[in-house]
Amino acid sequence: MKKIEAIIKPFKLDDVKEALNEIGIQGMTITEVKGYGRQKGHKEIYRGAEYVVDFVPKIKIEIIVKKERAEDVVSTICKASNTGKIGDGKIFVLPVDEVVRVRTGERGSDAL
Amino acid sequence: MVLMAADSPMIKSQIQNESAAALILKRASLIQQYVTRRETDFIESLTRIIDEYFQDAFAKSKIAQEMTASGNPVALVALGGYGRGEQCVHSDVDILILFEKKLPKGADALVKELVYPLWDARFETGYAVRTVKECLTMAWEQFDILTTMLDARFICGGSHIYSLLMEKFRNRLSKKHIQTSLNRLIDQSQKRYTDYGDSTYLLEPNLKSGHGGLRDYHTIIWYARIMADIKCRKDLERYGFLSHDEFKTLESSLAFIWDIRNMLHYIAGRKCDQLHFEHQVELAKLFGLKDKDGHKAVESFMGELHSKMDFIKQINLMITEDIQLSKKARLFSGIKRATNYKGIIIRERRLEFDTVEIIPNQPDLLLKIFVESGRLKKPLSIDARRIVGEFAYLVDDKLRRDTVNVEMFEQILSNSLWEFNVLNVMLSTGLLVRFIPEFSRIVNKIQYNQYHLFPVDKHSIRCVQIINSFKEKEKDESNQLYAGIYKELRNRRTLLMGALLHDIGKGDPADEHSERGANITRTIMARSGYTASDIEETVFLVRNHLFLMKIATRRDISDEQTAVFCASKIEKIPLLKKLYLLTVADSIATGPKAWNGWTEALLRDLFLKVMGVLKNRELATRKASKTIQRKKDEVVALNQAISMDSSGSWEESLLIKELDCMSHRYLLYVSASEIMTHLSLYRRLEKRDFLWTITSHDDSYIRTITVCGKDKPGFYSKLAGVFFLNGLNIVGSQAYSLGNNTALDIFKVMPPTDRIFENEKWNKAEKEFQQALNDDAFLERLIDKLPRSITPKSGQMPIPNKVRIDNETSSFFTIIEVFTYDFPGLLFAITNVLYKLGLDVRVAMVATKIDQVVDIFYVKAVDNGKIDDPAMGEEIKNSILKALPSVSSPYQMENV
Repeated sequence: MKKIEAIIKPFKLDDVKEALNEIGIQGMTITEVKGYGRQKGHKEIYRGAEYVVDFVPKIKIEIIVKKERAEDVVSTICKASNTGKIGDGKIFVLPVDEVVRVRTGERGSDAL
Repeated sequence: MVLMAADSPMIKSQIQNESAAALILKRASLIQQYVTRRETDFIESLTRIIDEYFQDAFAKSKIAQEMTASGNPVALVALGGYGRGEQCVHSDVDILILFEKKLPKGADALVKELVYPLWDARFETGYAVRTVKECLTMAWEQFDILTTMLDARFICGGSHIYSLLMEKFRNRLSKKHIQTSLNRLIDQSQKRYTDYGDSTYLLEPNLKSGHGGLRDYHTIIWYARIMADIKCRKDLERYGFLSHDEFKTLESSLAFIWDIRNMLHYIAGRKCDQLHFEHQVELAKLFGLKDKDGHKAVESFMGELHSKMDFIKQINLMITEDIQLSKKARLFSGIKRATNYKGIIIRERRLEFDTVEIIPNQPDLLLKIFVESGRLKKPLSIDARRIVGEFAYLVDDKLRRDTVNVEMFEQILSNSLWEFNVLNVMLSTGLLVRFIPEFSRIVNKIQYNQYHLFPVDKHSIRCVQIINSFKEKEKDESNQLYAGIYKELRNRRTLLMGALLHDIGKGDPADEHSERGANITRTIMARSGYTASDIEETVFLVRNHLFLMKIATRRDISDEQTAVFCASKIEKIPLLKKLYLLTVADSIATGPKAWNGWTEALLRDLFLKVMGVLKNRELATRKASKTIQRKKDEVVALNQAISMDSSGSWEESLLIKELDCMSHRYLLYVSASEIMTHLSLYRRLEKRDFLWTITSHDDSYIRTITVCGKDKPGFYSKLAGVFFLNGLNIVGSQAYSLGNNTALDIFKVMPPTDRIFENEKWNKAEKEFQQALNDDAFLERLIDKLPRSITPKSGQMPIPNKVRIDNETSSFFTIIEVFTYDFPGLLFAITNVLYKLGLDVRVAMVATKIDQVVDIFYVKAVDNGKIDDPAMGEEIKNSILKALPSVSSPYQMENV
């Protein structure tokens, strides 16, 4: 199993969610996060005072899928969240050792 | 010995104790009866059967009989809720096993005999074994023991011991402990409010401990017991703590809350006082409520609960104020002071009506007392609130329409602060709803979701308070921004009215509450006699109160188009400021899910960017919007004309979609016929790297080359390079981007000197441009062909080359302005430097006047941001200056 963690621009969430739905992904966890990478923060000036946005607001999506599906999910997120500009985000794929469904105690990909 | 609670620790042994077995049976049937028939006296009945258990078990107890025989009898005393006779399904049973002077040896055995069976029967039972003296000492040491003493009730055993305890307790209390007890009563309440919150606001209220919960009522009882040793609830009215009406409402409110609490205990299967979402729906059903006219059953249910809790909270507040003020007020008692208004006075630091008789003739006094309350930060006395409530019916349409009264209401609005909540008092007395009848539709209107923390009316009032809080100076950096903006506002009444009314449309369950709210707002504002511009502004605020937040979270705010779109809708800077403050206050008032560092950062960023666009007065003025609309219409008309004679036309809906995607800058500066040309190029581009068309103008030599292509770094500079290579002198240029990473560049050039083979020249240039796109090194050789120095033709003292980097004008681009003199290859020289530095030219405006040039480039760094780093700015400046030929004066030459 793989965990796919994607950091995307907030306004792209609906597009990504829809695209994932289309390929049959039904569950995901989203978090409002802040951070910066190559797209450093920027500043705005209002009445002489600088307002620096050092950590840029982003959305983090987490999805656990069977290994075989990971590639499909990654490319779908990539396609849906791409605006062609820097700051579109990053996708990480991590191995997942075990999944347990708390209610039934099922393990492994059955619990997905 | 301390009070201990135990959670049936014993293994479920057979209940051998007969009395306990009887109790279990009685309780089961009592609960069964209650669940089916819902008798209101359930809590008393449950108390009674527990009493019966103790009386029964006590009568049979050998140990108790021995104690009496040995001259150290025992008394059983009920404490807490059990003492008050208010036993809910899973309430604790607290008892005191009381001895006169010393604890006998058999006390432990007695506890075992009386209390253990209760544990086995799954009653959460707490007990204490104490002497009279211990009780008295501890009562002043521990506040919770004091309150249990206030609730103490004799069950069975030696009644004289109980009487002795009570007599001594009252004696000491009245002699020296009244004030300290009252103080602790208040401290305890304050702490409770911080721990459990205000139940009248919360969507998952705590029925017992929150503000407005049962504890608030207990506090009133304790106060009355401390002051007057009242024996039962009814005494609250008899002793004058509450009026007849207040007492009646209290009784019905308590009955409702107890009913909910009992059913909650029952369905949860345990003692549980927090009313979680999961139980609310079920309870609403059990209470026989049904979805009606689009209002969910659970919403009406919670609405009713909130109004009951609100009542309890209000009388609790009145009593609390009584306690606090009576301390301070002793010095001032009896002295009346005048206020700004005749008929309203201050007595004992509270506002009161001088006489009640004048109110029917001067109903505006009802408003005036709130104006004074807000201005002086003094509360209304209990009586005054009562009077306002009773006379609120006098507020009629005539009074509402009177400008003087409207102005008074504005004062009340602007003085409604978090710490001193005059608007809330106005709401709870019913006067606010009389003054703005439309408000009644959102009173105690619950929104059943996890997003909103408060009912709509409280939320609206909180929103007003938050805006008023921007008046205060804040240390927090982000709040400084709000305070700063607030200070700059001139007309704040529209903002405050907008805040109060922004959710007024929520009274109706259908969607689109903003639009409906805007209409209701218009009615209210018009009735109140506001000017047309005030009405329009407030209506705008209400209609669009979700607009900025929606854009901030759902659109790409790093795209200039987004800010331009917002700016064109809002149009005016003061209006933007108000809408921003309203959005902030609305979000804060909604709750932490709506307002956190994340949403705050997005919203602020958007605000500052829209502000930038509006300040520039270029892209989003009303005039600009008109021009753009006119141009769009022209394009559509042109298209219709084409479609008459068939080919090359667009399907109209598709065309409009394309037009809506175009940047304001492009639509402002390009003519309708040019737009048509560009669109057809754009459509024909397909997979090609680029396409161009060359048009000549009848009245001049100048050729216009329109190039459409996939936007890649260097696209623009390579075009400039190819024209230079072919000796085509560029006299003007504009660069834009169309949707989907498509560049659109327009060049005006002087045609080749050799007109005969012009077409061949163009074909050659086209091929070379393709080569340049494929091979970065193709144009390298050109750099050496640039002149080293130039001499201006115009006969003035030459001005040296200058480069200005402007990071303030636009939130999206760094603007580079180059001042120099024209020479062949100028544009290539500059843009090639920009390309090599990794900058992306998004907009270019190149114009030449005689030989003096101002070239303006809107650039972004590779990371799609501005060039904020000053060192990078310097590097750009120096690199451009280095690429430009030096300027020498024609006169210098002569002088040399």
